[in-house]
Order: sequence, then C-alpha cells, then structure tokens
Amino acid sequence: MRKVVVAAVLAAGMAVLATAAWGSAKAPQSASSASAAGSALIKCGKTRSIGLMAPFTGPAASIGINQVHWAVAYKNSYNRTHKTKIKFVNEDTQLGAANGTAEAVKGAQALASNANVLGVVGPAGSNEVKAVTGALKGAGLGFVSGSATNEGIATDGTRRGFFFRTVPTDGDQSKSVAAYIVSKLKLKRVYIIDDQEAYSTGLADSVQSLLKAKGLTVGRDGVSQQQSDFSSLINKIPRDTQLVYLPWQLPPKGKAFGQQMKGLGRAGVKLMGSDGLFDPAFSGLGANVYDSFFPVNPSSPIVAAFKKNHGGNSELFGAPSYVATQVVAGAIDRACKNGTATRAEVRAQIKKTNIAVKTSLLGLPVGFDKNGNLKQHPFGIYQSKKGQFVRVG
Amino acid sequence: MRSLAPLNWSLFFGELVSGLTLGSIYALIALGYTMVYGILKLLNFAHGDVYMIGAFVAFFVLQWLGGPLSPAVTGWLAIAIMFAVAMLACGALGVGIERFAYRPLRAAPRIAPLISALGVSIFLQNSALLLWGPQFRDYGTFDLIGVHSYSIGKNFFISNIQILTISVSIGLMIVLALVIARTRSGKAMRAVSFDREAAEMMGIDVDRVISFTFFVGSALAAAGGVMFGIVFGQIFSLMGFTAGLKGFTAAVVGGIGSIPGAMLGGFLIGLTEAFATGYLPGGSVYANLYVFALLITIFLVRPTGLLGSPVIRKV
Repeated sequence: MRKVVVAAVLAAGMAVLATAAWGSAKAPQSASSASAAGSALIKCGKTRSIGLMAPFTGPAASIGINQVHWAVAYKNSYNRTHKTKIKFVNEDTQLGAANGTAEAVKGAQALASNANVLGVVGPAGSNEVKAVTGALKGAGLGFVSGSATNEGIATDGTRRGFFFRTVPTDGDQSKSVAAYIVSKLKLKRVYIIDDQEAYSTGLADSVQSLLKAKGLTVGRDGVSQQQSDFSSLINKIPRDTQLVYLPWQLPPKGKAFGQQMKGLGRAGVKLMGSDGLFDPAFSGLGANVYDSFFPVNPSSPIVAAFKKNHGGNSELFGAPSYVATQVVAGAIDRACKNGTATRAEVRAQIKKTNIAVKTSLLGLPVGFDKNGNLKQHPFGIYQSKKGQFVRVG
Repeated sequence: MRSLAPLNWSLFFGELVSGLTLGSIYALIALGYTMVYGILKLLNFAHGDVYMIGAFVAFFVLQWLGGPLSPAVTGWLAIAIMFAVAMLACGALGVGIERFAYRPLRAAPRIAPLISALGVSIFLQNSALLLWGPQFRDYGTFDLIGVHSYSIGKNFFISNIQILTISVSIGLMIVLALVIARTRSGKAMRAVSFDREAAEMMGIDVDRVISFTFFVGSALAAAGGVMFGIVFGQIFSLMGFTAGLKGFTAAVVGGIGSIPGAMLGGFLIGLTEAFATGYLPGGSVYANLYVFALLITIFLVRPTGLLGSPVIRKV
C-alpha cells in the first residue's frame, strides 16, 4: 500500500513538473505567435470585419445597447457611402455580470482567432479593457473603446499602441466634476460611494482628493456592483450631506440607490453620477440629479439623424462608439489601400487618425497621443430636467 | 480617561429597520429550508431559485396588469395580486420539484437527492437566464405605490415599503405558526417530522404531507422574492444564489429543522448585515465577511444552532 502511495505522489510530482516545463516552454512561443498574428497578411476584400465588443446583455445592457446602436449607425452610414463595406463580429461582454470579465475575455479570444477581424471597437469597461488586453494584444489587434475612462489603462504602458479611446479620461472627468461642485453648486459636504471597480475607484479617488484640496468635507464608502440593498449604507451618510457622488457603471443600480434615498427621507440630497450613469434610468430620478458626460456635440446633424431613426432618443452615451467605429473603419481603409493589410498596419493607421472637427461627432478634432488618449479632452456636466439630461456646465 | 462618543440614534434606528427588512426576507427563505429539512432531512438547494422565480412571476403579473405607471387596478391591489399569484405559482413549482426530482430518490442514499437539488438549482437558474436574460428588471414599485418616509422625532425614519415588508413577513410567519400548531395538516407535518414511519402507520398520507410542506415553503420563498423586488426595486436571474445561501445560513444558525429558529436566524443575519455595514470598518463592502464570521462563532459555541436540539443516537 505504502509503495502505491509513494508511486502516486511521485507521479503527481512528475505531472506538476512536466506541466510547468510545458508552460514555460510555451510562453515565448505565445509571444512569437502573437507578433506573427499581428503581421499576418489579410486579404481585405469588399467586406471588412470589425470586432464589436459591448454589453449587449447583462446589468449594463441599457447603456451597452446605446453603444451598439451608435456603432451600427456609423456602419450603416459607411456602407451607404462607400464601395467597400464593413460588418461587425459581435461579442457580448455582459459588463457587470456576476462572473466578472469572463465573458469579455471569451469574446476577445473569439475575435483574436477570427482571421478576418482587422480591428476592434470596444470593450466598454476599464476592467474589461484590462482583462481583454492579453487576448487582443496577443493577436495583434488594435482596439478602440468608446467609454473606458480609467487613467491607468492608457498610461501604464501595458497596451500602448494597441489601445485607444474616443472619450476623455477620469482625470479630465474628475476635474470637471470637482470644479462644478465647488464653483457652481458651491457645496461644502459631499459623500462619495465607489462600486469597487477600477473605473469607479479611480474616479472616486481623484474627485475626493480634488474636493479635499478645496477644503470640502468629503465622506467615502464603497459598495459591490452585485448589491441591491443600499439602505444600510444610506443610513451611514451624514444627514447634513449635500451631494452624493456615484461614479458607477450600472444605471439600474444608480436608479435603485436614488429610489432608496427617497424612501429613507433623503430626497433633498443631490446626486451626481459619472458617464456610466448617463442614462434615462438615472436622469428619471428628478431634478436633483447631475451627471458628467463626454464631449458629444448634441447639435450635430448626425445626432438629429440618429434620433429620427431611434424613436426620438439620442442615446448619447453610445455616441463615442460611433466615433470609435469611424476610427477603426478609417484605419482599415487606409491600411487596405493595396488590397491586403496586417493587423499591425491597421494599428499604425489608428494611431495616425485625424478626424477634422467638422466631421467629428465629438465637437472637437479626433486624434490620439502616444498613450492612445484623445489629444483634446473636455468633459461636460448635465442636470436632469423633465427626466432628460441637459448640459449645464 | 476618554469618554465614549455619543450614540448616533439616527444611524442606530436606521440600521435596525434595514436589518429587520432584510431579515424578514431571509427569514421567509429560511423557513422553506428548515421545513423541508425537518420533514425529509434534505437540504433543498433549489429553494433560492424558487425565490428568484417568485420574484419574476410577480414582475410579469405586474406587467400583465399594465405596468407600474398605469396599472389596471390600484397599486396596493396590484401588489396583493402579485403576492398571491407568485406564491401560488411557486407553491405549485415546489410540489413539482418534489414530485419529479426528490420523490423518486427517497429510498436512495442521502447524497443522491442532494445532488438532485443542486441539479434543479442550476436548471432553474439557467432556464431563467435563457428566458429572461441576465439584465436587471425594474419592479417600479416606487411609481406603483409611491414611497413615503415617516419620521418619529428627529432620528427615526421608516418608509411605507419597509413597514409593508416587515409586517407582511411577520404576518406570514404568524399564519405559518398557526397552521402548524392548530390545523390537521400542521399536526401531520409535525408527526412526519417526528417519525415518518410511525406517522405512516397511523394512517397519515406521508406523500401528501411532504407535498404540502414543499407547497408552503416554496410559497413563502416566493413571498420573499416579491418583497425583494418591492423593497430594492430590481430583480435578476442570479439573485437566488446569494439569497438562498443567506436563507440556508439563517436556517442553520437558528437550528435547522426548527421553525422559530429559522425566523430568529433570518432576523439575526439581516441585523448583522445592516449593523456591520453601519458600524464596522469596510462594512458596506464586506458585510458578508462579518455575517459568516458570526455564523462560525455561533457554531463553535452551539454546534446545533441557536434553537436546534442535539440528535441523540441510540447505540
């Protein structure tokens, strides 16, 4: 019996060593196959494939669908006006779902192994950007997000040359938010609640330090994205608090928080959300609700056309995804001039993007710095009026 | 010597009400676990998912009635109908689960129905995901009945929805206690729980009693699901997992098989969660850590739970 046990332990040890050896031998191979994937020549053909990663379903579906609608709006407009066509390979990331970023990673792996895909629009969340980097970068794919705003994902160097975004960063957003609270609303006591995600904590930290530097009293707490009962947390918020800042990504959660605030006699406290809460679910809470949002030009004829085709809804949260699609499609066009392109060439063309202000939905020229951030990056402040967000700052 | 900071009564009362509200929901779930365990010695892991189905049934009933903004009946009547339909539907679902997933395994080793329960749980969860997707559904009860906050003095606030949840939950528990203590079905349940074979020999239809137990337990879980939707505004396909775990924990903390124990356990967990959020460091994010630390402590002191009695084995 003892011999059997010893043999089993030895066999298990051998198996572990063999696995480790195989893994270490495989690592450099993966790296080389990644660069090979990036330089593999792809025949462009008449119809070019772009990966579209967004929360089609899941807790953030209400804003994810806005992104999809806007991306599709660009695709339709492109296909009407160009001889070549673009088509999307859709991947649902289910942002905010209980299994974290697993769906996003699965989607990225599928796009990476699809030889026709030349570039990617998305994903939406900053945590998702972190999670999918391995798969997309390994396959040489450039990806342009229309909503991931965390500072570090562009500046940590991990995805430089692969990741780009058509939205300003949390740093830009936090400056606008803090300035509005201090100078326009002239408040003294603010409470910040993050949702423990990279996007949320980064933004919360930044706003907190800016407000503290201006001498405001700032309380801080956090919740899990899976939480639905906020009553215990609301009880903790000091009664003299004037504004609660919620840098969250899930509008239904923002709505539930606002409703529970009202239920507990806190209807008079102002709420301010971040871009992730720029949604009718949040603005419907009433006039005490504010939000910070991307620099979209609401008077653009593109917005008017979109509204006409979408039952009068502008769904502006998704508008930067229109620009992200414009960026990727433009880069593919330039890279495909001779009929073939590599993913590396498409990335190089994304870097060189230069969309003039008159054709830019953002109301400013679109071009990227070395980290993939927009060269120009203002943020707007909105207030809910009759259930709709209206720009006030 | 440093003096203690004065107690913040507003926070204390707020957490008390939040804890009782949450505890009411956990207690209703825990009752189903403990009743089934008392009769069959089975941990019905599908119970949390029955709670989720109850929440969805009520949601669709509300849509059928015209939605929260324009219901065909008054708001309170709509809520009463939501409760009634969800409880009946889930009661029937519970009976169906017992009939097809547990009864055929009654003579099998105890691990078999346990695995079957896990299977039913996953089946229900995935069916809900397939049918209704992973997104949140908004009950809209704040539009349906309006939210009013009542204040007593400067420090004590409670909303009409919290009053509704706590009172409906306590009402259902009183009805359950009366059913078990005073009705023939309740007496039969107690007899089967005490000694199934002896009860059968005395002419009690054991299968019927077990079906009745599943019906009542599942109906209570459905009531908990509807309350969750009403109080917290939103429901989703995976909501049964955590709630089921908490309900199960409440049943075990109270002493599994003990009905007063399940109620006590539910309220204890709800209150721990609320006070941990309000008073302990990092409590709003890590409330569950404190809840389960309490659970472990209780088991170290009382391995059978607060109101559980030790099993005496004859040698």
